[in-house]
Amino acid sequence: MNKISRRTMLAGTAGLFVAPRLSRAQAVKPRLTVISQWSAGSDGAAITALGKKFEEKGGIWQHSPVPGFTTEMMNKLRAQIIAGDPPACSQLKGPEIAAWSKIAPTVNLDDLVAAAGYEKVVAPDLAKLHKPGGKWISLPLQIYATNMLFLSKRAMDKAKADKLPVTWADFNALAEKMKAGGVTYPIANGGTRPDDGQKFEASFAGMSPTAYRAGIMNLDETALKGPEIKAAFEQTRKLANWMDPNTGAQPYATHLKSFVDGDMGMLIMGGWAQGVLLNAGFKLDDFIITPGPSDNSKPVFLLNADAFIFWQRSEPDLQAGQKLMAQLVMDPAIQTMYSQITGSIPVRTDVDLSGAGWSDGQRTTAAALKNAVGNNQAVLSLAHNMAHENGLTAAMIDVITDYVKNKTVTPDQAITRLAEAVEGAR
Amino acid sequence: MTDAVAAAARPGRPATSGVIRRLPEYLIIWVPLLLSAGHLVSFALWTIWISFTPSTLVPVSGWVGLRNYTAVMATRNWKIAFDNLLLFGSAFVLLSLLTGLALAILIDQRIRGENVLRSIFLYPLAVSFVVTGTVWSWLLNPGIGIQKLVNDLGWTSFRFDWLVNGDMAIWTIVIAAVWQSSGFAMALFLAGLRSVDADLVKAAQIDGAGPIRMYRRVILPTLWPITVTVVVIQLQFAISTFDLVRALTNGGPGIATQLPALVVYDLMFQRGVLGRGAAAAVMMLLILLAVLLPYAAWRYLQRRRATHA
Amino acid sequence: MREQTFAPGRMLIYLVVTLVAAAWLAPLVVVALNSLRTNQEIAQTSMIGWPDQWAWRNYLDAWSGFCVAETCAGIRPYMLNSALVTIPATILSTLLGAVAGYAVSLWRFPGDRWIYGIVTLGIFLPQQMRLLPWTIVLRDIGLINTLTGLVMIHTIQGLSFTTLFCRNYYIAIPPELIRAARIDGAGFYRIFWRIVLPLSPPILIVTVIWQFTHIWNEFLYGVTFTTGQQQPVTAALIALATAVADIPQQGVQSAAVIIAALPTLLVYLLGGRYFVRGLTAGAVK
Repeated sequence: MNKISRRTMLAGTAGLFVAPRLSRAQAVKPRLTVISQWSAGSDGAAITALGKKFEEKGGIWQHSPVPGFTTEMMNKLRAQIIAGDPPACSQLKGPEIAAWSKIAPTVNLDDLVAAAGYEKVVAPDLAKLHKPGGKWISLPLQIYATNMLFLSKRAMDKAKADKLPVTWADFNALAEKMKAGGVTYPIANGGTRPDDGQKFEASFAGMSPTAYRAGIMNLDETALKGPEIKAAFEQTRKLANWMDPNTGAQPYATHLKSFVDGDMGMLIMGGWAQGVLLNAGFKLDDFIITPGPSDNSKPVFLLNADAFIFWQRSEPDLQAGQKLMAQLVMDPAIQTMYSQITGSIPVRTDVDLSGAGWSDGQRTTAAALKNAVGNNQAVLSLAHNMAHENGLTAAMIDVITDYVKNKTVTPDQAITRLAEAVEGAR
Repeated sequence: MTDAVAAAARPGRPATSGVIRRLPEYLIIWVPLLLSAGHLVSFALWTIWISFTPSTLVPVSGWVGLRNYTAVMATRNWKIAFDNLLLFGSAFVLLSLLTGLALAILIDQRIRGENVLRSIFLYPLAVSFVVTGTVWSWLLNPGIGIQKLVNDLGWTSFRFDWLVNGDMAIWTIVIAAVWQSSGFAMALFLAGLRSVDADLVKAAQIDGAGPIRMYRRVILPTLWPITVTVVVIQLQFAISTFDLVRALTNGGPGIATQLPALVVYDLMFQRGVLGRGAAAAVMMLLILLAVLLPYAAWRYLQRRRATHA
Repeated sequence: MREQTFAPGRMLIYLVVTLVAAAWLAPLVVVALNSLRTNQEIAQTSMIGWPDQWAWRNYLDAWSGFCVAETCAGIRPYMLNSALVTIPATILSTLLGAVAGYAVSLWRFPGDRWIYGIVTLGIFLPQQMRLLPWTIVLRDIGLINTLTGLVMIHTIQGLSFTTLFCRNYYIAIPPELIRAARIDGAGFYRIFWRIVLPLSPPILIVTVIWQFTHIWNEFLYGVTFTTGQQQPVTAALIALATAVADIPQQGVQSAAVIIAALPTLLVYLLGGRYFVRGLTAGAVK
């Protein structure tokens, strides 16, 4: 750890922040201070439910949701860390976990994880992200695939389509059929940066998960210049041409009605879209969920997982709270509850999804995950900050979102710019 | 009171007791001013220091020379942001100035309902930038906003899709920003118009000057100092405008409407590269200085000319 | 200029003014209309439209119903927090700015021009350059996550604007007035109290309006330096907005926006005439 961090920690602890006093006599009541960005919607509901479970077990739950997106949450986290008062637990994910673990001390969860046998039921790629430096310091909570394919029933009818697309060739054919059948925009898309990123990564990983892993995840130069990535950009251009040009910077949720009505055909989106569609008043039989296109006909899973990281605190009640929270997060019943609220799938591979609280979409997703892990086709999502730290991700997404919005950029130009972005962000 | 004056006027009085007597006065003058000046200078220096360190998520010490600066300047983001600032800055300042002046002149025509009108043009200042950006993002969206409205009214070939057009999107920000802050320019100009020397106006009328010549010869020159103030304040707004752009275009479509304030926030807080973000912030300040220094120099020369006259 | 109410020239002026005023009002009208449409209706049709049914309930939900994570108390508590920060900070920065402006323009002291220059240059320092340093300062004096800390930040930062406004106003006061009073033996405070302050209401109103609006609508510091239940109303609005990623709530969101904007709108409505008057009296230099 560098000098400033240590000095900061010492200064902060010696500072005026009053730790709650516990009388020695009473047993320590677990308490947890939590920072997350989940202040609203199904995410907010899920973490609130988790909090209730925490309190049922006798703990004091102190959750501070930070309104805004991840940046605001990270600002708050950073401010607290600089102040020497990190929360006992905070939301964090992907390679950021490794980066942030270098600026403030974290809790070693190895014992708790071993006691719960958690490592056995977590996909290895995922586990690695949460144990930078070899020790568990954070726990993944839920998994989404970012490349699920949602098909509008009415649009399928218009296209007189009866088969679900499996490869990108199938997909393109279906899009053409939809267009011919009167579907104005075969693809419903928002204009946000992650959205554009998802189109590209779904194309690239769907065409060649090996090239995606080499190029995007490992930044191998050959893969970043090869024929697969060029084909991916060309496919992304096709997708961009099938989208509504008037979307602007709006989120995909503005197109839900058109999607359900059949004026827009397909949605390439993470599994969370199911919850959004239902909450907006649409029904499960308005749409079909299937894994995103994959050219070798075996599902490719672009992983996005939320997690909690535990920061070192000296207060015994916070330490007890962290222990309780860790146990809850690893508990299959809690993961079931959480995922059923948000529409994700649990991290644990041993959870049975055949029950009533689960949707077909979630079952499909879980099956796809299992399949993909088995075939080494489970890769980390770039658009959702799982493949790299935020700085590098944002630099790459700059190129991708510019490519999607600006039709004059050619795939070759995009490839060059992507390479420059990777170089520049190092 | 007179004792104090007499006491202070007595020759040979030691200075210290005078100082002690005037301590509360010194405190209330100096403490706030020093706090203000102190925090400004120290924050600016701190940011400059950080721009030379390898700071990423949190500030760390170290020295990387100019690497952060060259890295930021090499990105397409920064080049686009810089160009956009020049375009947006000049267009916005000019348009809000002209709009404010036009509105002030209109209202000054002694029309009825001046109070209502003034409130209508001033209220956007009361609205937060986030709300302004969001509402204008709806209004300017071709699919749901003005274009759709006009199309539905019958004029189906009408196009107003600047918001989603990479080349024109920056002008949507100009529109929203002009809407938000022309009212302030209008208020200042109205104040100026009302303070025009009545004698000058009467003299010009006697000379037979029509309304246009009146404006050119008498009124507009009086407004010159106000114009300068408006330009300065609008410039500050133009350079630091951040919430508005984030809500309206978020730098898009793609990265077409990137602006330095956005890039700084992005680098510092979103991408977790504080050193680079600080470098971008320092460059932003330099751009500001490039505009302010000539103005300060001009004012200084003016003052010298006035004192030497 | 003779007033001819129905001359074609004046009709043109009225027409132009009406069109421009309509353009200026459009955004407010859109939000107001949206605040009276149900969330479902907006999600199912479009962002701009006339209400199908009048959803007055949105206002109730916005005020005391909608949920930010665990707490479902609407924006009422957040409005209170905003008030607790904005009112003291506005009053303090205005008063201190008036004193500073007076000191720099009328009382004069060695170095006054320099320090005035630095203080007013401060309006150009971008907020991104202040966030982390304030974090460190607040940490060192132990005021992080307190409303007091926020008040302090806004007061000190506000001094740049308030000193600028007040100084430019006080410059118009004839210095002979001050000199005469000093010769008569009046001190710093007495002159301020007896001479300067009574002349100040126009510029004080301008300053209060400006500060109130800026502090009330501020988001960045409000979110970073407070926690949970202390957050200002701008934070609650963003919480509603980000729910767009989940269920579209634009009806309640628009109602919340209107409620949150009421204080500043009222300030401009009531203070608008003084705004112009305050700037007139000083003829900003």
